[in-house]
Amino acid sequence: MSFDVVIIGGGLAGLSAGVELLKVGKSCAAVSEGLSLNNAPREEFVALGGVLFSGDSVVRGEFDSDRLVKVFTRNLENTPLAAQSFILSTGKFFSGGLRSTKDIIYEPIFGADVEYDHDPAAWCSPDINSTQPFECFGLATDSSQRVMISGRVIENLYAAGEILSGQVEIINSALEVCRRII
Amino acid sequence: MRTDFDVIIIGGGVTGLGTARDCSLRGLKTLVVERGDIAQGASGRNHGLLHSGARYAVTDKDSAAECIRENRILRRVASNCVEPTEGLFITLPEDDLSYQKTFIESCRAAGIDASAIDPSEALKMEPSVNKDIIGAVKVPDASVDPFRLCAANALDAKIHGAEIRTYTQVTSFIIESGKVVGVRLRDTRSGQETEARATITVNAAGIWGQKIAAMAGANIAMYPAKGALLIFAHRVNRMVINRCRKPANADILVPGDVVCVVGTTSDRVPMEECDNMHVTAEEVNLLLQEGCKLAPSLASTRVLRAYAGVRPLVASDSDPSGRSISRGIVLLDHETRDGIGGFISITGGKLTSYRLMGEMATDLVCRKLNVSKKCSTASQPLPGSENEDVNCKGMAQKAARGRQGTLISKMDFEAKSELICECEHVTRAEVEYAVKNLGVTNLEDLRRRTRIGMGTCQGSFCIKKAAAVLAELLGHPEMAPILIREYVAERWKGMAPVCWGESLREAEFMRKTFKDEL
Repeated sequence: MSFDVVIIGGGLAGLSAGVELLKVGKSCAAVSEGLSLNNAPREEFVALGGVLFSGDSVVRGEFDSDRLVKVFTRNLENTPLAAQSFILSTGKFFSGGLRSTKDIIYEPIFGADVEYDHDPAAWCSPDINSTQPFECFGLATDSSQRVMISGRVIENLYAAGEILSGQVEIINSALEVCRRII
Repeated sequence: MRTDFDVIIIGGGVTGLGTARDCSLRGLKTLVVERGDIAQGASGRNHGLLHSGARYAVTDKDSAAECIRENRILRRVASNCVEPTEGLFITLPEDDLSYQKTFIESCRAAGIDASAIDPSEALKMEPSVNKDIIGAVKVPDASVDPFRLCAANALDAKIHGAEIRTYTQVTSFIIESGKVVGVRLRDTRSGQETEARATITVNAAGIWGQKIAAMAGANIAMYPAKGALLIFAHRVNRMVINRCRKPANADILVPGDVVCVVGTTSDRVPMEECDNMHVTAEEVNLLLQEGCKLAPSLASTRVLRAYAGVRPLVASDSDPSGRSISRGIVLLDHETRDGIGGFISITGGKLTSYRLMGEMATDLVCRKLNVSKKCSTASQPLPGSENEDVNCKGMAQKAARGRQGTLISKMDFEAKSELICECEHVTRAEVEYAVKNLGVTNLEDLRRRTRIGMGTCQGSFCIKKAAAVLAELLGHPEMAPILIREYVAERWKGMAPVCWGESLREAEFMRKTFKDEL
């Protein structure tokens, strides 16, 4: 299956970007585990012709040098989703966009570069009322919000939403990605 | 001279409450004052291990003998708080197997039934244990719920006429003619100051007993030995697992309810740190590393929380680690020791020996009051542990039966079946009972009485509902957001040191769930 854009992670960021892209005539598919802390515009995305693979997740991608060509999902197995551009919007820890062990934090699908404090004792502050350091960890990207793997920019893989590092405006980060893709 | 009570007990930990129960059973008019909630100090910050005494058999025979006697008593009178898991002392390849012989001989000399079993047999009994073991000894260790134990003692004391005032701090003693005749008190929440008078005052304040004694003019040099522990989100073991070697760090894994606890460390801390214990990254690493040697599957098990308590050991200057200080009971009559009448201290000891500590303290109180009634706490079951059959149907009632024992016959499950906490299956019936009968004033108190919010969600899913119910029962519905804020801040302290993997997911979820209350 081939689309203009494949969105990995159907939360607020991913589907907001999807809605904007559909409106300008791009064909879009989104793969969503279905677990999102924010209300995503699912109905609007589908009504505009977006293809939503719900209850599914991307397990790996296939690259051609610095371009992502297609992704494979758990349910679609041997039917990869190919696209011109991809958006990675799988959220932070709760949604599974980032994972952690006792010592490291990583992005589980592509092994993308994550910006975080390498001292695990500094991930969480003892005061729940303050912004937590882990809430600012996220993907390292270039100035166009493109994802990096081992320091190399992936030309057509953009990050949106909470998976980004720093204090993130979810909708704005999604719109920014749309501008780059369009 | 006016006296309000025969005896005032300072401290609502297991020792103070055990003493209060004993005093009230002997007919004494008893008041307990506790500056926080019951079981808020070391009584609620330990392994929940009912020692067989085996751990002390080689190094401290008297403590070992004391443990096994109390172990047998508590299995009967506190049956609802004790799970007879039994225990193993394992020898790993890096340990000296010859220690096992000394260990078994010492156990037997102390009256502890210890028998060596084949490692393959031990693996069958306890599949989670390290497969590399080269030796194993079975002993009568057990698991005990310290919150339940404290609540049951408090309840029985109240049933027999005692008054228990939580969130009530002693600010000074009333001393007349060299004799303690009462205490000045401050309600820690309202700030209201009162006083209470009694013929005898008992200092059962745990590590804080040094400060209390000093207020009365007596000197007790205590040794604050911090013990850090980790709780895992699953129960990997059936039996208590210990290392068969000289007691060291993180060498006991205790199962309890649906979790298990590994600990402890033992480090001297400054007295002023006792009010605010933090578990360090080094402690977490040590506990995990050593814990995995006992049960390797801990390496892949979610760590739910880290916490620490302070053992109220009485100091000896010769041991910087605190491990070789006797865990024995210290009963001080300040009249003969310091010339301060009407004042005694009961300290040292351990969770397993709390009942005996209560008996010893009450015996001394009774001698001073010329009361001849004998102790009955070794034979009279605690509320909830009476040997009666209680009807219970459905998961929620069975879970409540496990926590509250025969007391569930007093709960209205028919009318109040609404489930409040899903992890622990706590219904409105149990919450209402606890609030009305067990002295609950906030969500932390409620947690200690019912295990509400102690499951894998750490309250993320249930505590808003629990707060609404509690605030309504307390007659202050507007308090709910404040109750939530206090509760979540306290839960967070235990989560922060182990914030990785699933617990990091939980932490992110919790911050989002409670963003309106924080």
